Amino acid sequence: MPAHAQSRTSPAQLRESLALAGYVADESLSSAVWLAGALERPVLLEGDAGVGKTALALAMARALGARLVRLQCFDGLDLAQAAYEWNYGRQLLSIRLHEANGTALAEQDLFSRDYLLERPLLQAISHDGPCVLLIDEVDRADEAFEAFLLEVLAEYQLTVPEIGTVKARNIPRVFLTSNGTRDLSDALRRRCLYHWVDYPSLEREISIVQTSVPEADRSLIAEAVPFLQRLRRQDLIKTPGVAETLDWIRALHCLNHHALPDDLLTLVSTLGCVLKTREDRLKIGTDEVRAILEQQDIAGVASMSHSAA
Amino acid sequence: MASAESPLAGGLASVQITAFAAYLREYGFAIGVDEVADMLATAGLLGLEQPKPVRFAWRSIACHSKQEWSQWNDLFDQFWFPQKVRGTVRVSGQTRPRRDLRAAVQDLHEQLSAPPSSAPSSAQSSGMGSALQTGHADLPSTDAPRAMGGASRVDPLHDRSGSMWWPDEVTELQLLAKQIYRGLRPVRTRRLRHSHQVDRLDVRATLRQSASTGGALPLPVWRTPRVIPPRLFIFVDVSRSMESHAAFFLRVARAFVREADARVFVFHTKLVEVTPLLRRNSGRVQEKINAVTAGFGGGTRIASCLQSFADGGGRQGLTRGARIWIMSDGYDTDEPEHLQDAIRALRRSGGQVVWFHPTRTAARSEALTRAHTAIDAFLPLATLTDLRAGARRLM
Repeated sequence: MPAHAQSRTSPAQLRESLALAGYVADESLSSAVWLAGALERPVLLEGDAGVGKTALALAMARALGARLVRLQCFDGLDLAQAAYEWNYGRQLLSIRLHEANGTALAEQDLFSRDYLLERPLLQAISHDGPCVLLIDEVDRADEAFEAFLLEVLAEYQLTVPEIGTVKARNIPRVFLTSNGTRDLSDALRRRCLYHWVDYPSLEREISIVQTSVPEADRSLIAEAVPFLQRLRRQDLIKTPGVAETLDWIRALHCLNHHALPDDLLTLVSTLGCVLKTREDRLKIGTDEVRAILEQQDIAGVASMSHSAA
Repeated sequence: MASAESPLAGGLASVQITAFAAYLREYGFAIGVDEVADMLATAGLLGLEQPKPVRFAWRSIACHSKQEWSQWNDLFDQFWFPQKVRGTVRVSGQTRPRRDLRAAVQDLHEQLSAPPSSAPSSAQSSGMGSALQTGHADLPSTDAPRAMGGASRVDPLHDRSGSMWWPDEVTELQLLAKQIYRGLRPVRTRRLRHSHQVDRLDVRATLRQSASTGGALPLPVWRTPRVIPPRLFIFVDVSRSMESHAAFFLRVARAFVREADARVFVFHTKLVEVTPLLRRNSGRVQEKINAVTAGFGGGTRIASCLQSFADGGGRQGLTRGARIWIMSDGYDTDEPEHLQDAIRALRRSGGQVVWFHPTRTAARSEALTRAHTAIDAFLPLATLTDLRAGARRLM
């Protein structure tokens, strides 16, 4: 068991730290993140877009007071963009200068850290203080890059053939996120702790909105969040995530609404913050919105009568 | 929970945790030595007095996919708190054939004294072994008992005769699956990837590569359009009405899991993924699937199951070019109009739906008739010959 400062805290304390950093985590998620610190393992966060995977890494960096290094993955990402690259221009310039001065230049002088351009992975490994490394949307990268990541994630080291192996002095907190656009390899999965980030429960989403948009009216939040939760149960192509909820409530607040607008056309006109495809926009009209609101009223009456009983 | 109630707090924790890991492996979890060591270390850090933190922490260690994540709570409770889950599953059918001699004699007496109409149909007793030999295993004629309108009861698939395959048949099926998968047209994307084939010059990468030689020696980098193989999803109906065909369908599905990395789901009244089970080379796959489907309840809810897949975990995988194969007789206890909606939801992102039916012609149920236009092809599938004959239409 590696000794790590993180293990001296508890999942509950970490949860509080994350809340102070503006991220409302549930017990399961805070346990997984705490455990990752205790075991010095990366965390693989999977879930639909907009449920708060990337936000967790950002909040973790704030909570720890750590430097955030972000690697945004994409198709075609290679070693030169992710780990390191030799500064060829500077090497050439150095050769010319030494030629002009008539001084000798040894080969190993050209292949030293001075001529190395550090990209996110090397930056995270060679950083001296606390560091959070976010490898975002790893499923968008190629399988070859995934294989390259194995060494970094398992040993927290990176091998540069010309200068040797660079090993992390401070183990960075690593978060990998995936939207599931392709299956990741078993090898990568097994090197990480896994957490499926689901859409939040009603209580948690209200709490998230209150934390992130404190200026919004409580009555607006109390009506808008249950509406969003019911909207997610509709047959949509792109189910709105927490990010969409926050955008929508910010928009309604900016439009000076203290509760959901009574006029359905006004309400539908603001749903562009939430519904991100043409099909979904066409599908959710005033009739559908009215039906969702009516369901909400029935559920509200039921819960009130239940609590009265 | 008080510490005295927690079975985790008892002695021999390492032995129990190892047994728990073995239990998870039985359900397809990839638990190795490292995972067990991490679970033990976590138990040391958190203590075993409170099961909740341990449940959360072990979940992150043991699970590697969404499917495992969703299974976790049930498996954890089944192993550590069997008294909680005991009696919660109600099974109306017989889960497996009784094996003791006294029960067998009793069964024989009951069969002899029962009226002739209650005797099992020949189609069901013959199993897929005979279907392989004789050709189509059509549904029994109207005088034989059959599922009318898809109202099937819970009765797990204890007929294992379909699992008796000759080695050359297995090899032939694997080859056929490989051929079909190779024939599936890959999806060509707009993205480019590095390639050694001379196709298009990647100017940026070429300049970067050539900088290492100071431009004295140009090092061209080529790119070519990226193609991705089509994803294959297979849904196998394991309801009562499919009892004599499901074993064959699962065998076919298994071949595609190995050759095409297909994802396989069984459905009845609920939908469950069985891909990890099919990846294993075990003769007990059928029993495992029986165990998975034992508590499903009555009926065959095809539309609900497909819709839940389209709305839930499957949505991300159903990309352009995805192939969706449904293996069912088409008798659905859901509302008839729902099947059409469910299939349209499946092919919303450009997927292609093929319906395999065990009879010569597709069922004429109202649900299937309505959904006819949403399905790209109907194919009979009862023998390897059928699969070979239909291969061209699948490609």
